Amino acid sequence: MTPLPYGIMAEFRRAEDLVEAVRTARRAGYTKLDAFSPFPLTDLAHELGVRTTIIPWIAFLAALVGAGLQYGSQYWMNVVDYPLNVGGRPLNSWPAFIPSTLIVAILWAGAATLIGLLVILRLPRLHHPVFAVHDFRRASEDRFFLCILAEDPIFMMQEARAFLETLSPLAVREVPACD
Amino acid sequence: MSSEAIAVTTPVAEVPLSRRFGRVWWCALVVSGGLVLLLGYTLVSVTILGVGIWGVNIPFVWGFDLINYAWWIGIANGASLFAAILVLRRHDLRTAVNRFAEGVAFFAVICAGIFPIFHLGRPWLFYWTFPYPATFEVWPQFRSTLTWDFWAISTHAIVTSLLWYVGLIPDLATLRDRARRKSVQRIYGIFALGWRGSVRHWAYHQRAYRLVAILVLPLILIMQSTVAFEFAVTLVPDWHETRQPLHFVATGLAQGLSIVLLVAVLLRSGLRLGRYIDEEDIDLLGKLVLASAIVSGYLFLDEVIAALLAERMAQEAMLNRMTGDYAGLYWTAIVYSVLIPQLLWFKAARNSTIAGVFVGLSIGVGIWFDRFSIIVGGLQTDYLPSISRNYQPTLAETGLFLGTIGLFAALLLLFVRFLPVVSMFETRHDEHLEKSS
Repeated sequence: MTPLPYGIMAEFRRAEDLVEAVRTARRAGYTKLDAFSPFPLTDLAHELGVRTTIIPWIAFLAALVGAGLQYGSQYWMNVVDYPLNVGGRPLNSWPAFIPSTLIVAILWAGAATLIGLLVILRLPRLHHPVFAVHDFRRASEDRFFLCILAEDPIFMMQEARAFLETLSPLAVREVPACD
Repeated sequence: MSSEAIAVTTPVAEVPLSRRFGRVWWCALVVSGGLVLLLGYTLVSVTILGVGIWGVNIPFVWGFDLINYAWWIGIANGASLFAAILVLRRHDLRTAVNRFAEGVAFFAVICAGIFPIFHLGRPWLFYWTFPYPATFEVWPQFRSTLTWDFWAISTHAIVTSLLWYVGLIPDLATLRDRARRKSVQRIYGIFALGWRGSVRHWAYHQRAYRLVAILVLPLILIMQSTVAFEFAVTLVPDWHETRQPLHFVATGLAQGLSIVLLVAVLLRSGLRLGRYIDEEDIDLLGKLVLASAIVSGYLFLDEVIAALLAERMAQEAMLNRMTGDYAGLYWTAIVYSVLIPQLLWFKAARNSTIAGVFVGLSIGVGIWFDRFSIIVGGLQTDYLPSISRNYQPTLAETGLFLGTIGLFAALLLLFVRFLPVVSMFETRHDEHLEKSS
């Protein structure tokens, strides 16, 4: 039995063509789509149902954890575990604990957001079926690609190919599955 | 391949992928590499022999170590702040300047970090500033500005390097896809993490990138203020002022901008990137540098006015800095960081490479003298009748300073050689928006 392919991919010259193709494909009932472009197309991502609201939440929660940890550890170390009277100043001298609390909150938020980003994108992933497609290297430069995934419930190779051909792409190519 | 198919950013990608890079680059790398060796030598000697080989002694507990630390941090923070503002404002200038402004910030923070570690005297014990359960059961004293600084430097280094790298990933993918040799393709491929330009990925990438750029803004302000607090919380008359953080933040911004201008004009003429860093960009950058120099001028004036309103001891300290043994430092700072940049009022100067290099260096030098003047001039008049002695940097300190300049230059040269200096995907995005509007 031949393994199921990853999907089928059409190549376009302009970003507008890709946007139009995505809209047409969605109207035709395809739901498992992926689009590739050499620069961000935020509106198109929105149309594909991408919601990035998790990113600020990651940052916010990580900042809270970082700030809590830093203030808590300063409090515990300088007030509870090793109290030191410096010129009669209060042990919990909170104004002096604030700067590093803020800094560490930023450290946590920044690191969590950027590392979380890679986790969400499931990167690094050096090997991916789309890289096998001829000319796909130009997706990082000046070409735009639309891929209908084989996991789409209405995916049939012949129909999908015929459909993509109607969008007047530069080429339509099958994306073989990874071994 | 038809001619129209050649992407707008091809020349930028061709720079790191070219096999040869010319003699000038090699000469510059050899010179800066020599300075890096000097840095290694001075660091090894200070580790073995101790800080006694430096010119610091009571009352001058701080010398070149803190002067150069504060100076490098100023460059790092100024450049970071500028890059973050450009991203947030979605300013056109960001496509041209952002990538190397972040690079400048990251390299400067590496140079800055060397000084506080080695001025500890026993640098191999630097981790004592980190709260870890030590055998003596003593914790760091968190009421000290020096512990805040530990967090500030490490956070700045981690966050700017991550931000810089994440911004580079899509461009590394372009280099991977354009590389002609298998080995080059592998290396860029590994660092590109398998980026494939999926529209979903772009959406998350942009959101995260902008969000962290927002986080950089408060970080920079807190960090630069922390450097200033190190002076302000002492009882030294000339340092013990609440205006200190403002002075450091504003002059630091001038310094960061001036180094960005310097690098911009050098890249533009050196790599022939006139199309990506165009005349308008350089003109705007020149105006910004001028504005920041005027703000520095205002702060020098503010210093005098604040001293006039202060108690006698602070007045004397300020006066001593302007007229005493170290008056030269103070006036040099004003001439170089405020007066010379006024050249940029002229459009001809803003558009000239030589003037850009000259003014960029001039502000860098000027602020360096300002930090020198603040640190040494402040310590000269303590509350105690001090031993009559002046501070002079020794060869070991000068070597250390020159070494960090070499390190900075070497990192910058390697960056220019192996990475795209202009954000290619931002440039494509801008061209696309221009065409469609």
